[in-house]
Amino acid sequence: MSAVLTNPLRVGLRQERVIPPQCLVIFGASGDLTHRKLIPALFELFRQRRLPSEFAVLGCARRPWSDDDFRARMAEALKTEIADHQSAWETFSAGLFYEPVDLEDPQSVVRLGSRLEVIDRQRATRGNRTFYLSVAPNFYGSGCRSLAAAGLLKDPARSRVVIEKPFGRDYGSAQALNQVVKGSAKENQIFRIDHYLGKETVQNILVLRFANTIFEPIWNRNYISSVQITAAETVGVEERAGYYESSGALRDMVQNHLTQMLALTTMEAPGRFDPESMRNEKAKVLQAAHLANEDEPWKCCVRGQYGPGGSSGHPTSGYRQEPGVNPNSTTETYVAMKLFINNWRWQGVPFYLRTGKRLPKRLSEVVLTFREAPVHLFDAAGGAPTPNQLILRIQPDEGAEFKFEVKAPGSGMRSRPVDMAFSYDDSFGEPSDEGYVRLLADAMLGDPTLYTRSDEVEAAWRLYTPLLEMLEESPSQLPVYPYEAGTWGPAAADSLVADDGLTWRRP
Amino acid sequence: MSAQLTLQAPHALPPGEVQGYLDQLWQQGLDESSGAATFTLVVWDGAWLEQQLVRCGRVDGPITGLLRDEVLTAAREAAQDCGLPLGTAPMDPQLAWAIGRLEGGHRAEDLRGQFVEAAISTHMPRRMITLAPTLDRSAPLETLVAAYCPLPEERGGSAACGDVVVLRGGTGSLEQSLGLIQPLIGTELPCWVWWNSSLDEAPELLAALAAAPRRLVVDSSLGTPRRCLDLLVDRIDAGQAINDLNWMRLRSWRESLAMVFDPPSRRDALDQVVQLDIDVEGDHPVKGLLLAAWIADRLGWHLVDSYWVDSQGPGQGVGLGPKEGAGIGAEFERTDGQTVRLRLMPVPMGVPKTHPGAIVGLRLICQRTPGAPLCVILCSESGGCMRLESGGMASMELAEDVVPLPNESEEMEMARLLSGGHDSTNPLLAAAAPIAAKLLPS
Repeated sequence: MSAVLTNPLRVGLRQERVIPPQCLVIFGASGDLTHRKLIPALFELFRQRRLPSEFAVLGCARRPWSDDDFRARMAEALKTEIADHQSAWETFSAGLFYEPVDLEDPQSVVRLGSRLEVIDRQRATRGNRTFYLSVAPNFYGSGCRSLAAAGLLKDPARSRVVIEKPFGRDYGSAQALNQVVKGSAKENQIFRIDHYLGKETVQNILVLRFANTIFEPIWNRNYISSVQITAAETVGVEERAGYYESSGALRDMVQNHLTQMLALTTMEAPGRFDPESMRNEKAKVLQAAHLANEDEPWKCCVRGQYGPGGSSGHPTSGYRQEPGVNPNSTTETYVAMKLFINNWRWQGVPFYLRTGKRLPKRLSEVVLTFREAPVHLFDAAGGAPTPNQLILRIQPDEGAEFKFEVKAPGSGMRSRPVDMAFSYDDSFGEPSDEGYVRLLADAMLGDPTLYTRSDEVEAAWRLYTPLLEMLEESPSQLPVYPYEAGTWGPAAADSLVADDGLTWRRP
Repeated sequence: MSAQLTLQAPHALPPGEVQGYLDQLWQQGLDESSGAATFTLVVWDGAWLEQQLVRCGRVDGPITGLLRDEVLTAAREAAQDCGLPLGTAPMDPQLAWAIGRLEGGHRAEDLRGQFVEAAISTHMPRRMITLAPTLDRSAPLETLVAAYCPLPEERGGSAACGDVVVLRGGTGSLEQSLGLIQPLIGTELPCWVWWNSSLDEAPELLAALAAAPRRLVVDSSLGTPRRCLDLLVDRIDAGQAINDLNWMRLRSWRESLAMVFDPPSRRDALDQVVQLDIDVEGDHPVKGLLLAAWIADRLGWHLVDSYWVDSQGPGQGVGLGPKEGAGIGAEFERTDGQTVRLRLMPVPMGVPKTHPGAIVGLRLICQRTPGAPLCVILCSESGGCMRLESGGMASMELAEDVVPLPNESEEMEMARLLSGGHDSTNPLLAAAAPIAAKLLPS
């Protein structure tokens, strides 16, 4: 959302939920995520007065830094944010500490426990601890085990663990990791993060559906003919080649972000807005979802990889020319697929998911297309009446849009489509918080509503298992189609929807 | 949530033995439990209304210090019997005082300090010290001590324990017990002092108990307006953390007004406000003043003058002294030098809210150039605001809304504060209170 003049009456009012006294322990504190996302999000929470005075951050990594080193590095990384808030930073950074910790070394974790007790006394953090595993995925299991062995996860009311994505590489590894993690802590202590769920507009899908009565009666197979979910990026792989080469778009975007949007769009109304009710419904709908053709996945899934593109003045390199990428890589940077959901609400409605890098626009949206009117009484200006569409814009231009037919001005009775739009900018005019601000706050509040539960994660992996197995066993059956950077993906993706008489929405 | 009783029957001790008993309790009796490393909560729990109603036989005991529905209902009935105006709020200290003049000699068990509201016990105070002044001002000091372990609800965690100390007696004997209380508070943990009564009571005890860096919680709807506002300002000036439940109850008014101006198309109107009207219940203007002061602070208005006005209408009776039914008028200067006029008027209500001075309605008129004037009217959901809706607004763009008033108890508000753990005053309150104090004419 674009920033406009702040509403002066709005300043300082956002204090709805205040985090209890707390020590946030970040493993991997020397990594990028800490200074790019986590500390800025915490500083934002501090400036919004949502952190208590009894608060501390303990950075942990292998590097032998001191508290002052850690503070100085964070100050350097955040110097733009700090510039106008120097005194707030002074107060905030007094609660930053650092402890060299090797999660593989039990003695080191025991020392961490002692350090936490000192911080508890120093900052009155009351033994409430949130452990954030911002480490390489292969340390998630061992990290949880070490924390449990040192007794740091003993009290489920006061300790919890946040685990970054990716949670496993496939169904089997996710199951194995869940077993390890659940052997170390109770499920309600485990917070599997998907930062997409921290987005205001993703959460708005729930509010739009369940705080209004006009949508739910038509939110089903009787009225909706198809659904498209898109997450498009204009950027390429950038500095993440190492990670991306082993994940690809399917693991990086579809299994988590797009699947979460799918779940929120299709789940039944929970009985209550509490973590378990919400996650029950999400898990249920994901368990009912399946690829449109599980036996022949290549018929319902298209993979693509961007090639060189751009204009002569601004050429962009292809994926295989990016630094750190195998010149013969078959990693997909684009995926489009068709799914169905086998339940009473959605039986027979196709869901089309697509995501890609180096596409023409950066946007995420959910488009629900409604069935056509049973009888066409009027001529349509465009030849045929346009079906009604509800478009939920996740980013940018956050909001919603409804397309419907009206009488075109003139003596005849011709119809034409118009838009009725809601925009966050026009209605609220306030920039929304970064996803991490919301999610970190929720974790420290012990509210897992916007975090994924073990069965959800497993159901999401299971959904794509036929594809992942095929990629392992006979990748040639799921070829990677090249597409020019800056276009909407390979032509084969257009055929995927064209076979059903549809087209992708061109936003 | 229902209130929790201490798990152990409180043990009555001579005052001098309290500290020794607690030390022994923690060393021996509770050696398998952890003492919660949380905070100390000191509560001055006057509960005068409940005590008086029990004494008159208008409600049954025991006295708990919690604001029960029966107490509120009985208080509303008693207001009429005492000849007070129909709009007297149940928590108005005048009502408890008036009931005190009625006949009655009923006695009931006094369990103040032994009921811990679940919302508060969830935060596991390490020590809760309740000062329970009795109607009998000459009653000697009694001390009761109990340990308690809040039961962790469905979370399976180990119970962290705390202890409860109750000091009960006449105000005089409580004042004399300061030497006993101060060591019990300690300095290792943060301390909250909740003055759950009129701010006019026992000023010396309040000053001694609520010294910085303890975090003070008051209710500025209880006590004479000048005393309430001066206390807020003094503590803010001294840099002490002070929280005001009356200010917290303004939350939905602040939110509703901010919501009107969320659409960027309305933002300009905020620079062109010419008139602000606020109606409040009864004669306690502090809440209305805090609301006006918050708006003035956020919009950068400078206070030029304030004075008493009577209820005959705007501009009438300027220069009056404070009297029953008098309102407050003021002039502000906007950042562009234009004048904004404030009228804060008392309105009689048939069924008043629990606390004195609740907001009934707010009207903000913005003289937009270009464009039609904008009139914003916010009304309390339980009252009308016909006075604000009347007169001369036909040509204006009207934005009218009803302000929802969540009926949360003091204990819930208190729990909200405890969960936050802030060691500084809310900056909005810190900015608004000094303006509110200046707005109240002398």
